Amino acid sequence: MQRQDPLQSPFVPFSPNPSLQQGTPTATAPLKHSLTASQSSNLRYSSSRKSIYDRHLNRTQRSELSKSSFAFLFGEMVQYAQKRVSGIQDLEKKSATPSFVPTHVSPAGPRHLKSLSEAIHSLTPRRLNLHGYTIGQRLLELLLWRDGRSAKRETRILGILQFITTTLYRSIFNKPADALEKSRDNEDEYMLIDNDPMVSSYISIPKEMSQLNCAAFVAGIIEAVLDGCLFPSRVTAHSVPTEQFPGKTVFLIKFDESVLEREAVL
Amino acid sequence: MGILAIMVLNKAGGLIYQRDFNEGLKKLSSNDYLVLAGTFHGVHAITSRVSPVPGSGGLEIMESEHFRMQCFQTLTGTKFLIFAQPHQPNIDVIVKRVYELYADYVMKNPFYQIEMPIRCEAFDRNLLAYIQPRQ
Amino acid sequence: MSANKAARIGEEVWKTRIDKVNAELVTLTYGSIVAQLCKDMEGDYLEVNKQLEKMGYNIGLRLIEDFLAKTNMGKCANFRETAETISKIGFKVFLNITPTVTNWTTDGKQFSLIFEENPLADFVELPDDGRAQNELWYSNLLCGVLRGSLEMVQMQVDAHFVNDVLRGNEVTEMRVTLVRIIDDELPPGED
Repeated sequence: MQRQDPLQSPFVPFSPNPSLQQGTPTATAPLKHSLTASQSSNLRYSSSRKSIYDRHLNRTQRSELSKSSFAFLFGEMVQYAQKRVSGIQDLEKKSATPSFVPTHVSPAGPRHLKSLSEAIHSLTPRRLNLHGYTIGQRLLELLLWRDGRSAKRETRILGILQFITTTLYRSIFNKPADALEKSRDNEDEYMLIDNDPMVSSYISIPKEMSQLNCAAFVAGIIEAVLDGCLFPSRVTAHSVPTEQFPGKTVFLIKFDESVLEREAVL
Repeated sequence: MGILAIMVLNKAGGLIYQRDFNEGLKKLSSNDYLVLAGTFHGVHAITSRVSPVPGSGGLEIMESEHFRMQCFQTLTGTKFLIFAQPHQPNIDVIVKRVYELYADYVMKNPFYQIEMPIRCEAFDRNLLAYIQPRQ
Repeated sequence: MSANKAARIGEEVWKTRIDKVNAELVTLTYGSIVAQLCKDMEGDYLEVNKQLEKMGYNIGLRLIEDFLAKTNMGKCANFRETAETISKIGFKVFLNITPTVTNWTTDGKQFSLIFEENPLADFVELPDDGRAQNELWYSNLLCGVLRGSLEMVQMQVDAHFVNDVLRGNEVTEMRVTLVRIIDDELPPGED
């Protein structure tokens, strides 16, 4: 990527110069001539269509698809995750090899599994969490970019949790999360409550798998957003069914030491 | 409204779901229900072939003094049997709704294996919630 | 049933009977699935294609019931009607798109679906490793969905992509072929 030394440029940029900007593209003119791929890119592009860099990011902001489409895709994702963990040999391999730990995760990412039994019980939610994680990373970038100049950088725990409970949740599920609570016993634990997680709307967990909660996927999204905003933590999903809300789920957010230390200083 | 019972049969005629909605019904053993379902499946196939009208489907309605049974077969071969009080109106509407609930809470459940007995808690719950207020 | 009638039905069902979700969530979820498969298959894109088709097949077996329940469609009279139903109602009701049906063979057993838009592949760029663009069919799940759902209504079809804008082609095109109609088999002993 070309970098112009700002001191030498004769012009004061009216809006940020795309070639100086790192990371997300800005809402300026389409980047037709910038070097979007490395010099040695071999990707072919259709001549009649624009590349993805020419499409405005807000184009699909309000687009909708059928809930069934999501449900079927999600169902396959769950089935695939289950298939990959069935079989003890497979489990042993998966819990031991480093390739299982995603390389794109921040240093404070998912903790290593300690025992085989832990592996057996947590592998499916782990994989769901992973899927959610990759999505959360992208969603965070998109949300912050869309907020544009009014985007606020959250530095306090309550701030980031409010962001997740309202902005993030609304953008994915069209409604805010139902409640946010702080744990009485542990300083570093907070709970986000969703009475009826959309992802599990049609799913009934068999009795023999009652410890599995498919909302681990959403937990992954939340974890990615927290990690991305520099609030390293671990997020897990727990079912707490009630008469009125049989699918009620609590997302337990456990912050890292470093976050609490920083919070104390602020 | 008087829905007495609902049964669902898979493509091969196996019983995958059976539920009574009326306390007064005589309880059969689970084996009996299986036999009942298999018998109906056979009768359904036979009636579609012996019908004097060409291109006809299988048995759809069976009425007696005590009950009315309606069968809805989807294009995929799944059969929904509704047992109701005689003169129960709008069974078509009810069957459609049951089919929708099936499509939602059984088909979209990744833990449900196709053609196997339905053990989906959400399906039970929603079915009861739909039928009961109308009893 | 004409294409226009199918389009009207599709539009009406989409507007009134379908619960909706944020499209980007679906796009990102699908992307996450494909990416995970690529990692699990260790870059064997042909295997990824197979897995995507298989996943689509599993979805198709179930999706057909949802489709029938929501649209109340009866049997299609011929394969042409099937094609219009798939493109104007099926894709409309699930993905809010209506791919064009073209390139019929003279025997009426094969057609193409041309996708102007593909929500599954929004903002996707294939890996620049020299192989992905030649081997991976990103949206292969859709082929499996067609195969699975049509099998449940007694049609055995073959569906595969022949063009994809992600590969640098001009259009995204899927070729669908009717292999045979699956007749009900009579139980032994019954005439």
